[in-house]
Amino acid sequence: MPAEGLLALRNVWKRFHSGGTETVALHDVDFVIEPGQFVTLIGPSGCGKSTLFNIIAGLEEPDGDGSVLFQGQPQRHRDLLGKVSFMPQKDLLFPWRTVLDNAALALEIEGMPRKAARQKAAALFPEFGLQGFEKHYPRQLSGGMRQRVALMRTFLFERELLLLDEPFGALDALTRSMMQRWLLEIWARHRRTVLFITHDIDEAIFLGDRVIVMSARPGTVRCDERVDLPRPRSGEVMLTPQFLDVKRRLLAIVEEESRKTFSASA
Amino acid sequence: MNLLPVTVALAGLLALWELAIALFRVPGFVLPRPLDIATAVMENPGLYASGMLLTALEAIGGFAAGAALGFGLAVLMVLFRPLERALVPIAIAISSVPSIAFIPLALVWFGLGPVSKVAMAALAVVFVVLLNTLNGLKRPDREAINLLRSFGAGRLGILWRLQLPAAMPAVVTGLRVGLARSTIAVIVAEMLGAYAGIGQIIYQATVQVDALHVWAGVAVATAGSLLLNAVLVAVDRRLVWWS
Amino acid sequence: MEERPSLIAPVATAIVVVAAWWFLVPLLGINPRYLPSLSTVVADGLSIRSDLVAGFWRTFVETALGFLVGSLIGFAVGVVFAYIPILERAFLPILVAAQTIPVIAFGAIVVIWFGNTILAKVVIAFYLSFFPVTVATIRGLETVDRDRENLMRSFGASGRQIFLKLALPTALPLIMVGLKIGVSFSLAGAIVGEFFGDTVGLGVLLIQALYFEQVPRIWVLIVACAILGTIPYALLVLVERRWVWWRAE
Repeated sequence: MPAEGLLALRNVWKRFHSGGTETVALHDVDFVIEPGQFVTLIGPSGCGKSTLFNIIAGLEEPDGDGSVLFQGQPQRHRDLLGKVSFMPQKDLLFPWRTVLDNAALALEIEGMPRKAARQKAAALFPEFGLQGFEKHYPRQLSGGMRQRVALMRTFLFERELLLLDEPFGALDALTRSMMQRWLLEIWARHRRTVLFITHDIDEAIFLGDRVIVMSARPGTVRCDERVDLPRPRSGEVMLTPQFLDVKRRLLAIVEEESRKTFSASA
Repeated sequence: MNLLPVTVALAGLLALWELAIALFRVPGFVLPRPLDIATAVMENPGLYASGMLLTALEAIGGFAAGAALGFGLAVLMVLFRPLERALVPIAIAISSVPSIAFIPLALVWFGLGPVSKVAMAALAVVFVVLLNTLNGLKRPDREAINLLRSFGAGRLGILWRLQLPAAMPAVVTGLRVGLARSTIAVIVAEMLGAYAGIGQIIYQATVQVDALHVWAGVAVATAGSLLLNAVLVAVDRRLVWWS
Repeated sequence: MEERPSLIAPVATAIVVVAAWWFLVPLLGINPRYLPSLSTVVADGLSIRSDLVAGFWRTFVETALGFLVGSLIGFAVGVVFAYIPILERAFLPILVAAQTIPVIAFGAIVVIWFGNTILAKVVIAFYLSFFPVTVATIRGLETVDRDRENLMRSFGASGRQIFLKLALPTALPLIMVGLKIGVSFSLAGAIVGEFFGDTVGLGVLLIQALYFEQVPRIWVLIVACAILGTIPYALLVLVERRWVWWRAE
C-alpha cells in the first residue's frame, strides 16, 4: 500500500461524446495522495475539476485507459461510493431536517439507529461552533453556519478521504478566511486525508501541504507544488516571503492556463 | 395576518348586497336578502346539515381514495421509469377532459347512490395528485442525489430520505386543488342524479325556480367547503412542517 | 436546460390505447354497458355528426366568450388590487377562499337569472375563469423584485415603464398558469350551465345520453369534450412557448 498512497490516479482519461463530436475533459491525470495529507487542487474554470471530483467520488467512471486506486486496490465504477466522504459546492442541506438531523444524515444511511446517530452528531456541535442550534432548521442559519453543518455531515461520515469541492466558494471574504483557519484546526485534530478543490490561489496555498494545478481543458496535472509553510498556520503566514514566492510561481501558471481557456472560448 | 381589512371587505359586500336590494327594489326571486337566506337555512337545519354531511363524506371518501391512488402511482412511476413513459400520456389525456363530463358515465355505471359520487370525487383528484407528486419527486437535483449515493444510499433510501420529503410541497398543492375539484365533482354529480346531498337540494330548488332555497343550498355548500378546506390546511402543515 | 419532450412515448401510447379499445375490448367480451368498443363509439358519433358539430360549436363559443371576458376583467382587477395594497389585503383572502368553494354551484343562480339563454353559460364561464386569473395576476405582480424595481427607478423609469418592462414580464408566467386553469374552468362552467337546460351544446347531449343510458354516445361526448378542452389549452401553451418562455422565479 505505501507505494500507492491512499489514493492514486494513474493515466486517467475522460472523454464525452455528443452528436459525433468528442470532448476530452481529462487527459492523463496522474497523482498520488498520501494518507494524512491536505492536498489542494486549483485550475481555470472548465478544466474538468468537477469531472475529476465525480470520478474520485465514484459517481462517474474514468475511461478504460487508466485506473483509480484506493488503498492500493483498483476501483471499478461505483466502487468508490461510500468510501469517500465528499462535500459539494452547495451545502445541499435538507430543508425538512433540523440541523442535527442534517448532520446525522450519513450516519442514518449507514444504518445507525436515529437516536445513536443524533447522539454522535450532537457531540460534534461545540467543536463546529453550532451548539444551541441543534433544533433549528437550515433556513434559520447564516451561510457560514450552513456550510459548517454541511462540513460536519461530511466529517461524521468517517472515511479516510475527505473530498471538498469549493466548500467556501459562496461565502464572503471575511467568513471565508475564518472558515479556512477553523478548518485547519479541525483537520489538525482529526488528521484525515483531504483533497480540497478551489479556484482561489491564496486558499490553496494557505490550506495545503501540496497544491496541484490543473491545465486548461483538456485537463491534466500542470504542476504539483509542495508547500512547506510551518503549521499551525495563522493569517500572518500569507504575508511571508515564502508564501508570496509560491504564490508568484503558481499565479503565473494559473494565469497562463486561464488565458488559454479564455482565448479558446473567445 | 391582519383580519381587519378582510372583515371590513366582507361586511362591505354584505352591506352593498342589502343596499342594492333596498335601493333598486330587487325582488326576492332575483336576489334574496342575506338575512332571508340565513332564515331559510335555519328553518330546515336538518335537511341542509344532512345533505351537506352526505356530500362531504362522499367528497372526502373519494378524495382520500383518489389521492392515495395518485400518490402511489407516482411513486411507482419514479421507481419504474417505463411505467411513467407509458402512463403519463394517458393521465394527461384523461385529465384534459373536464371531469364533470364523466358524470353521466359514472351515473350509468354506479347508479344514483353514493358510489357514483365517490368515484367522481376520486377521478377529480387522482390525476392532479399524480402529476404534482411526480413533479415533486423529480425536483431534487443531481447533486443532492449524488450526495446521498456517496453516503452509500440505494434507490429506496434516496426515495425515502430525499425525494419524498422534497415532493411534499407539490403534493400539498395537488391535494388543495384536488379537494376543491372533488367537492365540485360531487355537487355537480348530485345535481344530475342523486337521492340526497347538497347538490340535489340545490337542483330541486332550481327546478322549482325557488331562488331563496337555491341561495340557501349554495350558502351551505360554500360554508361546508370552507370547513373542509380548513381541515386540509391543518393536515398540510404536518406534511410540510419545516417551512 | 430543459429537454424537449420526446413525442415517441405519447404517440406509441395513443396507438396502443386506440388499438386496444378498437380490437381488444370486443375480443375480451367487455360489457358494452361499461366500455363499448371504439368502432361502436365512432359509428355512433358519425350518426349524430350534425348535432355533434352544432353542440361543439355552441359550447366552444360559450367557453371562449366567457373565458375572454373573464380573463380580461380578471387581469384588470388583479392589476388594480396589486397596486392598491389595502384592496389586496381586503380581497385577496376572499378570492383565495373562493378557489376552494364550489363556485360552480352558483351556476344554478345564474340560470335562474338569465334563463336557458347562451348568456347564462357565458356568465358562468366568465366568473369561473375570473377568479383564477385575478389571483394569478396579483400573485405574479407580487413577485416583482424590489432591487430590480429600484434599478429601473435609478434609470429614471416612469411607473408605466416599470409596469410594462418589469412588472408585467415578471408576472406573465404566473398569469399564464392562471389562464390555463381559467380556460378549463370556463369549459366546465359552460357544460354545467347546459346541464341546467338548453337545446344545443355538448352538455345538453350529455344529459340526453344519460337519460337514455346511451353509453357509446356518452363516450363520443367525452372525447368531444377532451378535444374541446385541448384546443384552447394547446393555444395557450403555444402562446407561452412563443412569447412567455421565461420562468417565474
